[in-house]
Amino acid sequence: MSEYDNISNEIRELAAKLLARGEVDVVIGYKPTALPGRTQPAFAYKPEDAREFVFNPLCVSGLPLYLTKAKPEISAKDRIAIVAKGCDVKNIVALQRENQIRREKIKVIGVVCKGVVGKYGRCDGKTEPKPEDLDEKCRYCDVNTPRDYDYLIGEKIESSPQSKEKEFEEINRIEKLSPRERWKFWEEHFKRCIKCYACSKVCPLCYCNRCIVDKTMPRWIDPSSHARGNLAWNIIRAQHLAGRCTGCGECERSCPMDIPLMLLNKKLERESEELFGYRSGYNPHDPIPLAVFREEDDDEFVR
Amino acid sequence: MNSNGNQNIYQPKLIRVIDKIQETPDVFTFKWRFVDEKENEAFDFKVGQFGEFTVFGEGESTFDICNSPTQKEYNEFCCRVVGKVTKALSKVEPGETLGFRGPYGGSFPVDKYKGSNMLFISGGIALPPVRCVIDYCLAKRSDYAGLTILYGARTVDDLVYKYMLKDWGSRPDVKLVTTVDPGGETPDWKGEVGFVPAILEKMNPSRENTYVVLIGPPIMIKISMQVLGKLGFDPGRIYTSLENKMKCGVGKCGRCNVGNVYVCKDGPVFTYSEILALPQEDI
Amino acid sequence: METKIINKQDLAKLIDGLISAGARTVAPVKVGQMHLFQEVRSPAEAVFDYFLARRSPKEFLFPQTEPIFSYTRQKDSVKIHPVDMAFPRTVVFGLRPCDAAGPGILDALFAWDYEDKFWFNRREQTAFVSMTCAQADHACFCSSVGLSPDAADTGADLHLTLLDDGQRYFVEAPTGKGKKLVSEFPSLFKPATDSDAAARGSAGEKAKGLITRKLDLSNVKQWLGSHFTDELWERLSAKCIGCGACAFECPTCHCFDFQDEATPEGGVRCKNWDSCCIDNFTLHASGHNPRNIQHKRYRQRIMHKFKYYIDKFGKTLCTGCGRCSRQCPVTLDIAEVLENIAAKAASGS
Ligand SMILES: Cc1cc2nc3c(=O)[nH]c(=O)nc-3n(C[C@H](O)[C@H](O)[C@H](O)COP(=O)(O)OP(=O)(O)OC[C@H]3O[C@@H](n4cnc5c(N)ncnc54)[C@H](O)[C@@H]3O)c2cc1C
Ligand code: SF4
Ligand code: SF4
Ligand code: SF4
Ligand code: SF4
Ligand code: SF4
Ligand code: FES
Repeated sequence: MSEYDNISNEIRELAAKLLARGEVDVVIGYKPTALPGRTQPAFAYKPEDAREFVFNPLCVSGLPLYLTKAKPEISAKDRIAIVAKGCDVKNIVALQRENQIRREKIKVIGVVCKGVVGKYGRCDGKTEPKPEDLDEKCRYCDVNTPRDYDYLIGEKIESSPQSKEKEFEEINRIEKLSPRERWKFWEEHFKRCIKCYACSKVCPLCYCNRCIVDKTMPRWIDPSSHARGNLAWNIIRAQHLAGRCTGCGECERSCPMDIPLMLLNKKLERESEELFGYRSGYNPHDPIPLAVFREEDDDEFVR
Repeated sequence: MNSNGNQNIYQPKLIRVIDKIQETPDVFTFKWRFVDEKENEAFDFKVGQFGEFTVFGEGESTFDICNSPTQKEYNEFCCRVVGKVTKALSKVEPGETLGFRGPYGGSFPVDKYKGSNMLFISGGIALPPVRCVIDYCLAKRSDYAGLTILYGARTVDDLVYKYMLKDWGSRPDVKLVTTVDPGGETPDWKGEVGFVPAILEKMNPSRENTYVVLIGPPIMIKISMQVLGKLGFDPGRIYTSLENKMKCGVGKCGRCNVGNVYVCKDGPVFTYSEILALPQEDI
Repeated sequence: METKIINKQDLAKLIDGLISAGARTVAPVKVGQMHLFQEVRSPAEAVFDYFLARRSPKEFLFPQTEPIFSYTRQKDSVKIHPVDMAFPRTVVFGLRPCDAAGPGILDALFAWDYEDKFWFNRREQTAFVSMTCAQADHACFCSSVGLSPDAADTGADLHLTLLDDGQRYFVEAPTGKGKKLVSEFPSLFKPATDSDAAARGSAGEKAKGLITRKLDLSNVKQWLGSHFTDELWERLSAKCIGCGACAFECPTCHCFDFQDEATPEGGVRCKNWDSCCIDNFTLHASGHNPRNIQHKRYRQRIMHKFKYYIDKFGKTLCTGCGRCSRQCPVTLDIAEVLENIAAKAASGS
């Protein structure tokens, strides 16, 4: 039996046990799909539902969004268990930090993860992806063993320190471009945007009941998918996640138009770290940089 | 068969507001004519059809044409302020220009109703879409037998068309019953107090040779239907008008699709038996 | 059906010829890791050795954002400025038979009683040149909705099938528009022999063999008719996150919204793609939303495509292209949903 079969079995057993004992009402995990190279989110309400659960490097999608907005009928349920990789746990921590969930009501089934497959990577789901097939975020992962969990599945591993230089290579390159070249770079990408809002719907931290794109009085973002509307949307989405984004990569993965949204997110992530020493998803009690005010804050820009 | 030649079916015609009446704190009646006089002569519509009205700069919204087509000098719509377009409308004054597309949708079969008793039941802001039928029957009074109107609102303030109610109430050939929800009455209120379905039950109308036009909030419709059922009314003789969210009004944008119908084109007027055949959850 | 042969170089010349003739010439172009239909300035940009374009070619008849009129405004008067409804001649190359089927399915909707001239004026000006599929994946299920990866007559004006030699395309011209295109460039099209026709036949068989997903949809419509409420909806579509990815990539989704973009002096109204899976699609101004939970929205997607549209317009609103399954962020595989429905229908539950 492969490592992933063992992990899958453990998840099934644990989930079935939690449900059978009535400790939780639902377990959110992954199950197979007929489409090769994929898995899909799954909800188990009864112990026997848990038989379908799997875990392997095809379990790319982040499940924490089902803790809040994506599934109000589930999140209304009090007691939830959720299968979470280290990066998913970061989103849970961020949600906790923003008072969107009550952590004590959630049982986190943390899974030690050696990386999931990239959008265009290849992986049979039985063994871990080759380095070139790994998802980008996994190359620089520092949470292979989740930092917070109620149950941990898999042998703990240490994440190896990664070169920031490499992680931010493309961002550094773009920063060096002239404003005009940079503009052109983004224009080329944004012009493809089809305003499907998959990037926001999939983001666990984009949880507003009424997104700014839906607000009409006044209308902040042109809803049409033209240069102006697309630009406004993509910039505002990234801005609203500034200092909050945990870098899970779900937005970019979900974008059907392959817009490199992570470049924006990671740029803001770095700003937040450099300016405020804040990294989202690591500590549920740190103050959020853009939500605190201090007397000594620079206010020169306010006129 | 297409009825629009090479016309852009999404482009409105210009209309001018000639009068505005504040019906309740948040309901306004607008009287309008086309800016282009030729359009006024050519314009015709059927009882129960609706239009798509544009407030330029804000957007487009669906309202019933709530006068009878027998009234030729101007047309009317009546709107309640709920969102973006309706809020903008509340600020529109006589003389201003709006856009209009229509008339769209099906109509009440007023010819079929000839010779029958008519029972009109309506609540709140839903009187305007019923009023077009009432006005039509009054304009052709001798074509119809008894006319009974039951109209209710939350409070006295919320009753629309107070001037019309006065007129209908004073006519010997119309039976008008008005009601307000318990607690909504004023000291000098002379009508009934109670929810529309309860008053309906008390009125105990005869189903003999009667057609019903029933429009109101979903909950009022639902309970009134139960009462009408108890009184032996045939759902096939009860007519209502659906208000699904709409955009295009011409069966293209998909928004109003429920079950096998596109409400904007296959409706909005349906018999209750037709409504029962639709997936109820989607209405 | 008129048949011909065109070789690769001559296909390039055809594209060149159309560009020189001033036609908007569209073909799959590689953008990053995906292929998109884009206007090409030279035949070299076109990529025909590809699977399927990320976005369907519907946008060439029904763009995602289309200004429908503009206006200027003064205090008491408004002037409407109609948009030009004459569209350039357009030839779209390299679409797959499923994509070619899309417009024909939507004609009935855009025509009933009122004709959407944006659609039909463009339709008149546009020719489609489809190609037999060279790849397929497990999301493809065209043959289950009456299409086929080698079908020439799903809606294209010309259909090309690459023959064994890898150099020559067998050309079929199912429509008048297609025949005209051939006669416009007579030197590029060579006569097809019987053995070419045989080779085309076997290439077609090979393409058919690519389809691994076979669904039995025979009882689906009937089941849908009597199972508007069923546990299946929640179970299968609870994970849907209500984005627009599926509808916006789909060759047959037609829903749209109107949006005004304006300043006090004037503005423009646009017709923008929309989707029944997005939460505010049916949200009334009052706050009432009949489809108030995600699985009810996804149910509309299935109902509309596999029941209502068939009842109303006689056609299934799906070409089996599989885009919605492939691009769904949570892998809501439409074929899986249909398989589940078919299984329920077969078991009588
Ligand atoms: C056939 C029909 C007849 C109607 N007749 C009347 C009437 O006579 N009087 C009246 O006050 N109201 C009527 N309504 C409801 C009215 O159309 C909405 O209240 C109005 O569109 C809300 O617009 P808004 O811009 O203020 O709201 P917003 O929430 O800002 O809505 C934005 C847009 O969404 C659409 N929309 C939102 N809610 C509805 C809705 N309930 N129905 C249709 N479209 C909606 C409109 O296009 C609207 O412009 C009717 C609706 C229908 C379908
Ligand atoms: S913005 Fe993108 S990367 Fe950041 S948390 Fe949201 S989905 Fe994840
Ligand atoms: S997912 Fe991509 S295409 Fe869709 S709205 Fe976001 S950036 Fe645009
Ligand atoms: S519903 Fe899905 S499979 Fe069917 S045509 Fe649309 S995108 Fe293709
Ligand atoms: S599936 Fe939904 S978005 Fe697509 S055409 Fe039907 S109702 Fe519209
Ligand atoms: S089915 Fe998938 S692509 Fe479609 S709305 Fe739901 S989550 Fe988005
Ligand atoms: S309102 Fe557009 S289809 Fe009915």
